Amino acid sequence: MDFSIIELDDETARFRDEVREFCKRYITAEVLDAEYRDGNGFDLELHMALGERGWILPTWAKEDGGAGLTGLKASILALELEAHHAPSITKGTTTLVLPAVMRWGTDELKAEVVPGVARGDIRFCLGYTEPDSGSDVAAARTRAFRDGDEWVIDGQKMFTTGAQNCQYSFLLTRTNPDAAKHKGLTMFLCPLDHAEIQAIRTLGGERTNMVFYDGVRIPDRYRLGPVDQGWMVLLGPLNAEHAMADSAPPVTLDSPGGMYGISAVFALEAAVAWAATPGPDGRRPIDDPLVRHRLARHALDVEMATIATGPAGRIISSEVAIRVGADLIDMVGPRGLLPRGEKGTVEDGWIEHSHRFAQGTATYGGTTDVFRNIIAERVLGLPRSAPPTKSPS
Amino acid sequence: MDLDLRRADYSLSDDQEALQAAFETFFERECPATRVRSAEPFGFDEELWQRLAGMRAVAMGVPESGGGDGAGLEELILVAEEVGRRVAPVPVIEAVVAARLLAAVPAGADTLDAVLRGSVIPTIALHAGGGDQLVPGGSVARAAIALVGDDLVLAERDRPPEQVANQGHAPIAWWDLGGSDVERRTLATGREGRDLFEQAGREWRILTSAALIGMSRAVLDLGVQHARDRVAFGAPIGTFQAVSHSLVDVAMSVDTGRRLVRKATWYQQHEPGVHRHLVPMAYFYAQEAAVEATTVAVHVLGGVGFTVESDAQLYFRRAKGWTLVAGDPQRELGALADQLFGPAQVVGA
Ligand SMILES: Cc1cc2nc3c(=O)[nH]c(=O)nc-3n(C[C@H](O)[C@H](O)[C@H](O)COP(=O)(O)OP(=O)(O)OC[C@H]3O[C@@H](n4cnc5c(N)ncnc54)[C@H](O)[C@@H]3O)c2cc1C
Repeated sequence: MDFSIIELDDETARFRDEVREFCKRYITAEVLDAEYRDGNGFDLELHMALGERGWILPTWAKEDGGAGLTGLKASILALELEAHHAPSITKGTTTLVLPAVMRWGTDELKAEVVPGVARGDIRFCLGYTEPDSGSDVAAARTRAFRDGDEWVIDGQKMFTTGAQNCQYSFLLTRTNPDAAKHKGLTMFLCPLDHAEIQAIRTLGGERTNMVFYDGVRIPDRYRLGPVDQGWMVLLGPLNAEHAMADSAPPVTLDSPGGMYGISAVFALEAAVAWAATPGPDGRRPIDDPLVRHRLARHALDVEMATIATGPAGRIISSEVAIRVGADLIDMVGPRGLLPRGEKGTVEDGWIEHSHRFAQGTATYGGTTDVFRNIIAERVLGLPRSAPPTKSPS
Repeated sequence: MDLDLRRADYSLSDDQEALQAAFETFFERECPATRVRSAEPFGFDEELWQRLAGMRAVAMGVPESGGGDGAGLEELILVAEEVGRRVAPVPVIEAVVAARLLAAVPAGADTLDAVLRGSVIPTIALHAGGGDQLVPGGSVARAAIALVGDDLVLAERDRPPEQVANQGHAPIAWWDLGGSDVERRTLATGREGRDLFEQAGREWRILTSAALIGMSRAVLDLGVQHARDRVAFGAPIGTFQAVSHSLVDVAMSVDTGRRLVRKATWYQQHEPGVHRHLVPMAYFYAQEAAVEATTVAVHVLGGVGFTVESDAQLYFRRAKGWTLVAGDPQRELGALADQLFGPAQVVGA
């Protein structure tokens, strides 16, 4: 056990100051307003500025486009970006896919995309989900047909978040419909220039997309891994995405459950600030036992979201965010409904936003139910919950 | 927003792992459920207590200057978790907290010697005030430390008061701290006395939290085993998500609760002035988790779970039975709020 303060040496402290300066300069009010309005999960200027400093792949060596940061510095960078609300979804999906490209891509493909990823001008999104398959990822039906040295892609993806910001999709396709479900899949790093992208808006304000692949032709070099063995290729990033919910980051700093718990942390901070400010009657809400007791409970839940780890971290942080968001909005009363920028809104609308935003966290990246199945089977060793093999008569 | 850069290392050292393994083995061998049952309704097993003394369970928590082994709370929570896991009928948590308190004041030296020799079991009266109160371990203890007015007092009796029957079959008893059958000595006064008493209360809460995590883990194991073995509608009941997911929720509370207890423990031991809300937080969470865990286990075990034959009910009783002596757990949230938000201001007062 060790929760002691990490004393920063002068050089690391200077690095932290530099990161803070960077955040102030690039994560401006306009950037945050645009993110709030458009939900892009991305800001081009910020992303390119990160790339310029090697901060998209911060622990990579400088000669490979990274910044050669130590784990501690990389954690400082990540925590500061998070604390400043940096839009980061597209950066996240890009760096999630990169290891699969490094592992399975040909040298030619790597030369084509990797330097651009580090610079910032090449970005990847995740093309798993389809209209008829989500939790059951391997049920994907988007087809890829071989035609000489090329592949022809036909089908539709749902919820390809950030496609509008990306040049390539990490695409799950079916190449052999006659093989067993997991055995006829092939992965591609599919260029998006010939795919059609249509926006989907969400309750949380994020933008995601439908992406249509209508006879899209791509050279074989965009294939990742062996034909029909896409499941194996997919598992790396899929497991990494599942672990992204792991709130214990590499340098063992407590952090609020990545993107899942963070909305609860911000909403709770906003609620505590609101409660400590006297209202029109001169009383502070925090002195009202009903408010005080609930805030204490929420502080406990948010702490749990922060310290939970592994698949439990994914579930707890998401469910805490939902529960806390729903009650904080009650607590502040009618003003809780007013969004950012409206007259009389509470604390920049964080609470209003959190109540909507949190809901999605239980779904994307694998639903909380799917994660409970994972814990039941892999941690508790319970028998697999059996789907009906025959249709009920 | 300034970020406090701190380590978040929840792991055990090699020595701590060895200690944990030793007590795990000890309780597995010495304290099967049959032993817990045979100690009912009194909640105390003299022979187990003697053997535990052989393991230096109480002495280890006393500083070396007081004749103990100088272990810290980090080690004591490992013992407490194993105590809870077997719901062992021994008041080790109360005794170790009281012994540490005795070691902190010169006036406690004689009684501490008697404790280390094994002739006296000490305990702590958790509620400040001088009157009658239910004291954990009070039906086997001859010495109880209490806060009476501004004085930290050692109350001693020739023999412990009678146990009162209680849902948890815990060794609790009424102690009349002002009564004629107790002999009182002042250990410390004023600020010092209050601080020592508060610290002891915090230590009791931390160790009890660890025991509650142990209880939760034990009933989780009972539930999981049953979910694998029991067949209904042609399938193991663990294939039904209503069953498996409720067990998963318990598993999450156990793992996360244990992390919270370790974090609270570390601060209490190394930086007791910082993040003081963590102790009431850990205690509240652990008791809530134990109530949920025992409720789920009783339910997953079906009708049998509700019978006195089931081991799950041993735990169910103690989830409340080992905590309520400290009062309504919801009050812990009040303590937590005071630490986090500062004391409430009463308008117009
Ligand atoms: C904002 C947002 C962004 C997203 N971004 C991406 C992205 O970038 N790329 C991508 O590929 N996908 C993305 N997704 C899709 C997301 O991964 C899926 O929505 C999710 O996996 C659930 O799949 P589904 O929507 O098809 O629901 P379904 O799988 O149909 O599930 C419906 C309900 O049934 C439950 N359920 C399903 N199976 C089980 C089971 N075995 N046991 C218990 N309950 C079960 C689910 O938990 C859910 O409550 C995104 C989704 C959202 C909302």
